Amino acid sequence: MKSTLTGLSPGARAALIALTVGALCLAFGPRIPWLLEWPSSLTVPATDWIGAGLTWFIEGIKPAARVLSAALAYPMGWANVLFVSTPWPLMIGVVMATGWHLGGWSMAALGLAGLSFVLASGYWVESMNTLALVAVSVPLALIAGLAIGILANEVPSMKRAVQVVLDVMQTVPTFAYLTPLLLLFGFGPVVGLIASAIYAAPPMARNVILGLERVEPEIKEAAIMSGGARWQQLFLVEIPTAATQIMVGVNQCLMAALSMVIIAAVIGGFEDIGWEVLLTMRKAQFGQALLAGLVIVVFAIVIDRMSGALATERRRHDRRVTWAILGLTMLVTLVTWSWLPEAGQISLLAPVADGVDAGLSEFTKANGAALDSVKNGAMFYLLLPLRIGLDEAVLPFTWGFQWTANMSLIFFALSLVIGIAFSFSGRLTAGAMVVVFAGMIETGIANLPWPFVLAGAGALGWVAGGRRLAAFAMGALALILLSGLWDRSMLSLYLSGAAVFACAVVGGLLGLSAAVSPMAWRVLRPVCDMLQTIPLFVFLIPVLMFFQIGEFSAFLAICAYAIVPMIRYTRHGLVTTPPELLEAAVASGATPWQIMWEVRAPYAAPTILLGLNQTILYAFAMLVIAALIGTTGLGQSIYLALSEADVGLGIAAGAAMAILALVADRLVQGFAEERRAALGL
Amino acid sequence: MPDGLPDAAIACDGVWQVFGNQPRQRLAEALNKAGGDAHAVAGILSDAGLIAAVRDATFEVADGELFVIMGLSGSGKSTIIRCISRLIEATAGSVLIDGEDILAASQKRMTELRRDKLGMVFQHFGLFPHMTVAENVAFPLKMQGQGAKPRRARAEEVIELVGLQGRENSFPRELSGGQRQRVGIARSLAVNPDIWFLDEPFSALDPLIRRQLQDEFLKIQATLKKSIVFITHDIAEALKLADRIAIMRDGEIVQIGTPAEIVLNPVDGYVREFSRDVAKGQHATLGSVMTPLTGAERFSGESKLRTSMTLDDALASCVLDYEPVPVCDGDGNIVGVVHPSALAAALQTSETA
Repeated sequence: MKSTLTGLSPGARAALIALTVGALCLAFGPRIPWLLEWPSSLTVPATDWIGAGLTWFIEGIKPAARVLSAALAYPMGWANVLFVSTPWPLMIGVVMATGWHLGGWSMAALGLAGLSFVLASGYWVESMNTLALVAVSVPLALIAGLAIGILANEVPSMKRAVQVVLDVMQTVPTFAYLTPLLLLFGFGPVVGLIASAIYAAPPMARNVILGLERVEPEIKEAAIMSGGARWQQLFLVEIPTAATQIMVGVNQCLMAALSMVIIAAVIGGFEDIGWEVLLTMRKAQFGQALLAGLVIVVFAIVIDRMSGALATERRRHDRRVTWAILGLTMLVTLVTWSWLPEAGQISLLAPVADGVDAGLSEFTKANGAALDSVKNGAMFYLLLPLRIGLDEAVLPFTWGFQWTANMSLIFFALSLVIGIAFSFSGRLTAGAMVVVFAGMIETGIANLPWPFVLAGAGALGWVAGGRRLAAFAMGALALILLSGLWDRSMLSLYLSGAAVFACAVVGGLLGLSAAVSPMAWRVLRPVCDMLQTIPLFVFLIPVLMFFQIGEFSAFLAICAYAIVPMIRYTRHGLVTTPPELLEAAVASGATPWQIMWEVRAPYAAPTILLGLNQTILYAFAMLVIAALIGTTGLGQSIYLALSEADVGLGIAAGAAMAILALVADRLVQGFAEERRAALGL
Repeated sequence: MPDGLPDAAIACDGVWQVFGNQPRQRLAEALNKAGGDAHAVAGILSDAGLIAAVRDATFEVADGELFVIMGLSGSGKSTIIRCISRLIEATAGSVLIDGEDILAASQKRMTELRRDKLGMVFQHFGLFPHMTVAENVAFPLKMQGQGAKPRRARAEEVIELVGLQGRENSFPRELSGGQRQRVGIARSLAVNPDIWFLDEPFSALDPLIRRQLQDEFLKIQATLKKSIVFITHDIAEALKLADRIAIMRDGEIVQIGTPAEIVLNPVDGYVREFSRDVAKGQHATLGSVMTPLTGAERFSGESKLRTSMTLDDALASCVLDYEPVPVCDGDGNIVGVVHPSALAAALQTSETA
């Protein structure tokens, strides 16, 4: 056996191992129950332990936290007064002047249009409350991020540790650390503030590290040879040189803070715009929810484009115009002071919202059947079989007949025939994979026996990155197994897996079309930009409008958010093939499609894999948010923990989620790395 | 310690740069085992997984001398200049600058030295992208603690020296490659350093600009008389600029000599390989091929040949002669003879060698 095994490629060996373990589990599962279900006597009460430990810790530092919270209440109060009591014409003027200063007329116009929309929507006061929070949390996050970045840069032995922490912070879902913060700081806007500062600091730190790393060695050396002390080198040369990258960090930091401030509304609102969305959504006033959601989108776009200009525009615009805009709006405010309507009184768009609401209920009434059939079709024929397997999902109620043991046999036999046919034509790996996938569809992802999942992850890790990666993947998953969160993790894996698969197929095709036709990219690009700018929360509104609460809605929301990187990276990988490779292919007489499959696609593979990796991380991030509209699994647990202030469950489920995301991330990165090495990049 | 020339501006003795784990300890062990043989030591280190980028480099740069270090990429020439300027810490050896061992100097002393005494030009210019030309040039002065006004005045002086007047307020991104390197040169000269390091300063430029800058560089050096370590991979550039050249291979200095010595008497095939494409007639002088006087010669008329003439020029002026021709030194005294056929033969070997 060994001699034949060593002759196989690593991929084939890994596939055969997974296949063997899966087959053994299926064969002996009925007789040996612990093969299918990890015995609960062997799990440790991780949730309780973490809960007890954290509670003890939190109680310990609570006094300090409460002091901090009280201290933060001051700047928050000031910012709130500043934003809310500034007359709205002046606020619009300030935003326009900032827009002009950063990016000229187009940005000033964007600011005017955006804020006018906000004013007309009737959510001015709520928006200003939210902005005040962002205005306090962002400086905190920027300073923390800069400090962490500099620390990692100055103390090389810290760098690795800092990067691991940043990785983990990026994968731990946002809701998960709201729970301990809630206990620490008590209810109130301070929790949202701190959460958003914590959430927004890592992108800043990451970009500071990256920017400082990328400063040309010769520039650093020139600073040394000029006789600069270390702090002079850092602050006079290296940081200014890295400014562009750091500005990217500022942009991401702003967006993350905004996103988190809005999400934090789930722990209770204080008249902010996120709360408004949540409230209207709960009351099923979708017109209003959509309007409030659009206000968030407008803010996201204005903040993103303006701070993005920091990173790209080198030219600064005439200061005099900036002052002129400010002066003019000041004048207008003073002149119209006496008859200026309160911002809260303006609600020009309320009729529109009501209209949308009415129209929507008309639409759902008229097309309810069609929408339901779309939803049920997707659920019955795709999602359910994937979740619980053909043997449980195929019922007279859903498919019109009952799945029988004979059908299972025929199904397996069929897959085996195809698999053997593949292996006889030399593609043993593909053959084994066909059988493995057949087994997974028959069993359902949520019901997969744990030895198979562990072996499968180990095998993938081994192919992607050798023994260490395999050990990491299996060890990390074993932790989940021990913690007793396995079933919920598999449910999360199923939903995000389904969404990632859909994103990979659809996003890959869209990316391909964008690579082939510039026209398609011209249409797709603004859509992608838009989808990436919208805070996660807002994705829930349209899917809820049409498909109500449920797994399918969650699935759609995840797909809508996670598809963007797949499209972008696929296109980017395909269009950045070096011209001389293409010329060589043309000179060899290849047709456009041959060039696509033989040259571009292999060259783009590492980039596309990185896109897939991003898609996976995005899917996990959205999964937790989607718990608001009905998913099962870890996301739901985290959300539940938040409402019950159960720190143990919140952190344990958050950690399990982070483990799944990290394992997926490392596996895909491993494959990408391997492809890149194979191409000599 | 070498008993260096009294006027040596830089004296390197047994400098090693080893990359890898525990380089100091491993190098000391290897030196113990293999003794003075640098090649054997490098072999031992390489077997242990360490890389010896500079191996036992020993040389001196005289005051006001233009010393060129030439080698292919990976030969360790960029590493050696970073050892001397202490941008990286040498693993072993000593580097004396005006008699002071800078490898033993404190960080504070190094900063002082860099502020007052050392200047460096980089291959890819190393300009600060967020500063104007004038700010870039004035940066070392700012580090010295000079006020804004004298800084600006001195910056304008050096900017004029490198021929960039009028571009003081441009940003580096608005300049061409040649102009950028002029800024780099101006910046390195701003504090009027005694020691001038140039790390492949002209390699990133296209040939025409390169020649132009080389000529101007020679002109500047003729007036400033700095002690220079100049790195290049271009033998033609080395021969054109150098007072003396050190040729490096695999971290070792294989030959040090004047341009003529390198061209006419290469120590091994590696060095000969470099000078293969060089027209020897342009670099070797008559003094190196003439035979001394025996006393029996009788010459008629005045000799046109001088010891300092290149072979090409000498051949051109006596191409019609068939007899030995006298050679004069700078003062016009006859000091030797050369037969035209010997001249032709010397050129011949250079073409076929």
